[in-house]
Amino acid sequence: MTGPGVRAAALVAALLAYPFVDKALGFQTVHAVSDGMIYVLLALGLNIVVGYAGLLDLGYAAFFAIGAYAMGLLNSPVLGSPLYGYAWSFWLCIWLAAAVSALLGVVIGAPTLRVRGDYLAIITLGFGEIIPVAIRNLGDITVDIGGWRPIERLNLTGGENGVNPIGRPYLPGVPFETDPVPWYFLILIIGAASLWSMNRLRDSRLGRAWMAIREDETAADCTGVNPISTKLLAFALGASFSGFAGSVYAAKLQAITPGAFEFQVSIMLLCMVVLGGAGSLKGVILGGMLITVFDRVVLTQTTFMVRAAGRAAGVAALTTADLTLWRWFFFGLGLVLVMLLRPEGLAGRRVRPVAVGADDADDPMVLEPPPAPRAEAIPRWLRDRAPRGAATDPRAPILDVRGVVKQFGGVVALNEVDLLVPHGAIIGLIGPNGAGKTTFFNVVTGLIRPDGGRIMLAGASLAGLRPNAIVALGVARTFQSIRLFPQMTVLENVLVGEHCRLAATVAGAVLRPPAVRAEESRARARAHELLAFTGLGDKADELARNLPYGDQRRLEIGRALATEPRLLLLDEPTAGMNPRETEALTELIGLLRRELSLSVLLIEHDMEVVMGISDRITVLDYGTRIAEGTPAEIQRHPKVIEAYLGTGGEQDLAARDRSR
Amino acid sequence: MLELADVHTYYGNIRALRGVSLGVSTSEIVTLIGANGAGKTTTLRTILGTVRPRRGTVSFDGHRLDTLATDRIVRLGIAQSPEGRRIFPRMTVLENLELGAFARADRAAIAPDLERVLTLFPRLRERTAQKGGTLSGGEQQMLAIGRALMARPTLLLLDEPSMGLSPILVDTIFQIIRDINRQGTTILLVEQNARMALRVAHRGYVIQTGRIVLQDAAAELLRSDVVRRSYLGEK
Repeated sequence: MTGPGVRAAALVAALLAYPFVDKALGFQTVHAVSDGMIYVLLALGLNIVVGYAGLLDLGYAAFFAIGAYAMGLLNSPVLGSPLYGYAWSFWLCIWLAAAVSALLGVVIGAPTLRVRGDYLAIITLGFGEIIPVAIRNLGDITVDIGGWRPIERLNLTGGENGVNPIGRPYLPGVPFETDPVPWYFLILIIGAASLWSMNRLRDSRLGRAWMAIREDETAADCTGVNPISTKLLAFALGASFSGFAGSVYAAKLQAITPGAFEFQVSIMLLCMVVLGGAGSLKGVILGGMLITVFDRVVLTQTTFMVRAAGRAAGVAALTTADLTLWRWFFFGLGLVLVMLLRPEGLAGRRVRPVAVGADDADDPMVLEPPPAPRAEAIPRWLRDRAPRGAATDPRAPILDVRGVVKQFGGVVALNEVDLLVPHGAIIGLIGPNGAGKTTFFNVVTGLIRPDGGRIMLAGASLAGLRPNAIVALGVARTFQSIRLFPQMTVLENVLVGEHCRLAATVAGAVLRPPAVRAEESRARARAHELLAFTGLGDKADELARNLPYGDQRRLEIGRALATEPRLLLLDEPTAGMNPRETEALTELIGLLRRELSLSVLLIEHDMEVVMGISDRITVLDYGTRIAEGTPAEIQRHPKVIEAYLGTGGEQDLAARDRSR
Repeated sequence: MLELADVHTYYGNIRALRGVSLGVSTSEIVTLIGANGAGKTTTLRTILGTVRPRRGTVSFDGHRLDTLATDRIVRLGIAQSPEGRRIFPRMTVLENLELGAFARADRAAIAPDLERVLTLFPRLRERTAQKGGTLSGGEQQMLAIGRALMARPTLLLLDEPSMGLSPILVDTIFQIIRDINRQGTTILLVEQNARMALRVAHRGYVIQTGRIVLQDAAAELLRSDVVRRSYLGEK
């Protein structure tokens, strides 16, 4: 058995033996530890929302309440629940509670989807306040419509008094009524199963989509990830885990009151996630256990010790000290210290600084040029996707833009712009800074709605489509200022690119049937091939943010290629590259067109590049097309020289030509 | 005027600068060229104190910079146009420019300088009331340079000023660099466009994996085989 295997076996043995050891030694901590595990489960659910999808939820206790009350309402004699009293009630109700929580997660998630960051946090904060208040006030409902009372004094939630008792689980011969040990194992099983599913979700198409949204929502959208459904799924799944936790909590405690789900609980759960390390399952478990054990065991035990010490030393103040009253002080202090010393959390992924000349070896004076792109290295599957000559009519344009208009306030950013990209062509888009080139890209990729005009991709209109839908139709892009998913690995960045070509669902991601396994391993193989082709083969496991600039540019193109585009939009791909890197990239673009019949629309200020590889060039100035033609025509065009090229640029270009 | 002596700068355990020594004399234009990741930006950051050297000294007009807070360094008369622009996106163009003059004592001289910047970049004049974040990439680059000029520095640090600019503006920028230098501003220029940089500069340094590997008059560097092959893209 290997090292990790031994450790895992030891951990399992410890978890199984713990309640019996506890009993033998008379510690009586099983109750507290079981409660702690419930909170850990909650924190794990919150981790999906906050750690994976990056949605700061300050009212997560609301879902805890919903889970607990779903159990309470469905399985209690107080409120006349029809499900109460059967042997199977509890086992059915935990699933119902999870489903109700997930459903409410979607309902509550939906209106918050369009807001980000601080606004989302405020909305969830409000929601977290509303739920306990609503529960308090739904204990006595009377609907009075002009004297007619269809509902009179209905007790829906038990109000301030809460729900008591709640049906316990029943298994033949298992003393759930008297012994904390069966509870311990029940919660352990639920926790282990949840952890297992979360672990699988994390390393799936969906987990990657969550993290991509967390890293850069716009870039994720433009890489084919639907932000709306992805975020809703995070809310729903996060809520469903709290549904399990809440329902078990309710049944274990036998009584629930609205007070158990106040704002502090949300904050404590958030502390667990942040303390351990958002996004890290190990970290969240660690954070959760630390906080609950500290709260439930350490503080009470230390209080006894302090009092005993006080009596021994004769200090009156110490004999009545109660450290549990200081719990928030200790939480706060601990959190401040962790944030100062390890901002990524106790077990979070350490963010390494940007690598600059990482190896210590003395380098040769003449820099090795970046690896030249080779036609043989083009992945087979990309070739197979390439449109066959017979299948597409070269005369029919892949992109046909007519009369596109876009205004920002009073500024006309695009004024009746026409642009045509024939199949397999490289079209340059140039113009002075602020001419509207990037705005044009944003309109074509769906980030910005045009005010007029039409955009056709291979004959189909792109009007009203979201960026991710346009990616799915075969349009990929890169950004002027590189927008990778910085805290994901190079491989994961490319895998997110494949997202829209993969099909795994939640159930598939967790259960991993053969079809999903095959899809995932194929996706990984493809990503590796693509990385090898773009010259990043040996950097698959680096974080994207640690790559040097030129590699980041290449990775962005690799990620775009992973979406299997028919049309590639490149926004200043050679900006910030040295002449060698620029040359290699230019070759790469040419190669993609030659070998894959990929059509390219290129914004670029390096005239050597644009004039060298473009078939035709469109020039924008103040949002208006001022010229269109072959590179030779554009270079001579007086308007273009005046507005864009300048005479110096011409000389410089001529000088470069001479030097070659 | 500016002197770096055996500067070693680290990011965590990664050595970014491994003993950089360079000097910039009053009213010079000095350029620092090198590949991506060679340490050019780190050198500028070390000068401004946004990262600290683990070894070595940075001095400017007799002041030690390597222990001085960044805002104090700026008050000594050093300004920079940073890599990646770093403008204030939710403030207007005008506010961005005014903030460039934040540390200045000569309030009266600010208005003419603003006028000068807006004349240098007519595009910014058209957009004074617009939020910085709504500018195009190239316009933001102009704004970053304009903001640095508003500090009326004695030493100006420029990190890839030509990045993302149209050819005509690249010419303009290098013309501006020459002009403000003639008006007495000393300039340390980091550029990917080594050819243009070496043409405008008096002297140049070539940095490679954190070390200065070559230094000479700019005209000599333009003729150097190593520079031509590695940084000018010539065969």
